[in-house]
Amino acid sequence: MNHFLKSTRFKVILFILALLVGIMIYAVSVGGYTLSAVSLFRTITAPFQRLSNSMSERVEHSLNVYRDAEIHYEQNKALKQEVAELQKQLADYEETRRHLEELQEFVGIKEEYKDLVLSAPCEVVSYVTNDPFGAFMIGQGSADGIELYDPVVTDLGLVGVITEVGDHTSKVTTILSPEVSVAVYCSTTPDHGVVTGSVSLAMEGLCRLQYLEKDSRIRKDKVILTSGENGLFPKGYVVGYVRDVQVDESGLNTMASIEPAAEISDLSMVIVIKDFEGKGVDRDE
Amino acid sequence: MNKRFTSRHHAAMQVVQWIVFALLAFLFYVLMTSGSHVQPLLLIPLAMCISVHFGEIPSAAVGVVSGLLMDIACGKLLGYNAIWMVVCCVATSLLHSYYLRDKFFNTLLLTAVCTAVQGYMDFMLYYAIWGHENVTLVYTHIMLPSGIMTLVCTIPVWLIVRWICRVCGSQRSFELEKTIVTSQ
Repeated sequence: MNHFLKSTRFKVILFILALLVGIMIYAVSVGGYTLSAVSLFRTITAPFQRLSNSMSERVEHSLNVYRDAEIHYEQNKALKQEVAELQKQLADYEETRRHLEELQEFVGIKEEYKDLVLSAPCEVVSYVTNDPFGAFMIGQGSADGIELYDPVVTDLGLVGVITEVGDHTSKVTTILSPEVSVAVYCSTTPDHGVVTGSVSLAMEGLCRLQYLEKDSRIRKDKVILTSGENGLFPKGYVVGYVRDVQVDESGLNTMASIEPAAEISDLSMVIVIKDFEGKGVDRDE
Repeated sequence: MNKRFTSRHHAAMQVVQWIVFALLAFLFYVLMTSGSHVQPLLLIPLAMCISVHFGEIPSAAVGVVSGLLMDIACGKLLGYNAIWMVVCCVATSLLHSYYLRDKFFNTLLLTAVCTAVQGYMDFMLYYAIWGHENVTLVYTHIMLPSGIMTLVCTIPVWLIVRWICRVCGSQRSFELEKTIVTSQ
């Protein structure tokens, strides 16, 4: 063993370790930008990962059918009940639809979303291995005009934010992560708060709405929308639905569990909002 | 003449062997990044099983490659896993040079130590240090199952690597053969 410690081989290994420390320090210094060598590697491996990921999704889907058979049975029963209720409401459907269209025009949601500059649909290339918050890689990067901290959405709702940009791939950190905070408001009550992730809720695919007033009127199934206050997210985009409301540990505020509108653990395509009105403008300032 | 042919043949088989190892590492990297469920860290047993059969420098190289692939797959700081993998692979190679025999239990034990320390460092530096509440859930729900899966996967990986080394002739077995021939 002493012979090894005095040998050239030992010096070579020490050199390799020093080199790795250097790489690590350099990787820290470039911030949220992927090293070009890593970016190139990810670009090369992306087709294989897409193929493997799609196969994995199919296998997971097939296994879930068997695993969740009982849950599906219960859901089926509940859905049948729901269908019966919906059939009762069918008579009022046309009137409701007309009313909804009038409301949409009135509120101007369509107009509001016109200011969003959206990317082309981005394929989810792969999920980050063993990330408890469901971070994933998408197949577009700085070459496609994507920038650090751009919001990522689906047609259902907000998914997360870009936290690492390469030339042709980017990493998305989801709203289940404690690293992401979104200023939000409730669509029907005057409540404002911040949606962020927590470890325990992330395990159930939920996130947390915190800093609500103690006498908050927020209730289950209320829709939570982005308020756009910090200039990071566009205003009025759906984040999720309230699942549970409780007083926080301090007893001074109310908090709620939020089920993201987008199904974060089962994404295949997302869209990046490249620009929107008020981007980078902190409305509190 | 016969000796020269044997050396050339051995060199050619060594090239084939490293190509197969590189393809295996690439395959394991792709598998690790497929799907959103908890995954075994397949590159750890692969690197450890390869290091058993080779000297310190090739083992260090295996550690660098597998560690960097793990960093990219797990979205960690580049070089973070690579440093630990170099240490583990060189230690595995040295232990097998001086103290241990090429037995499955030894490899499993070393893989378990490597996985446990890697998981603990990951947990401490990426989650616990930030003071998130209920952070132990990350350990019990993700890292522990992943570690157990990694250990279970060590069995097929060990068999595959051993088979490749037997077919292609590992560096150690070749050196041993040469020593025997020279002494005769």
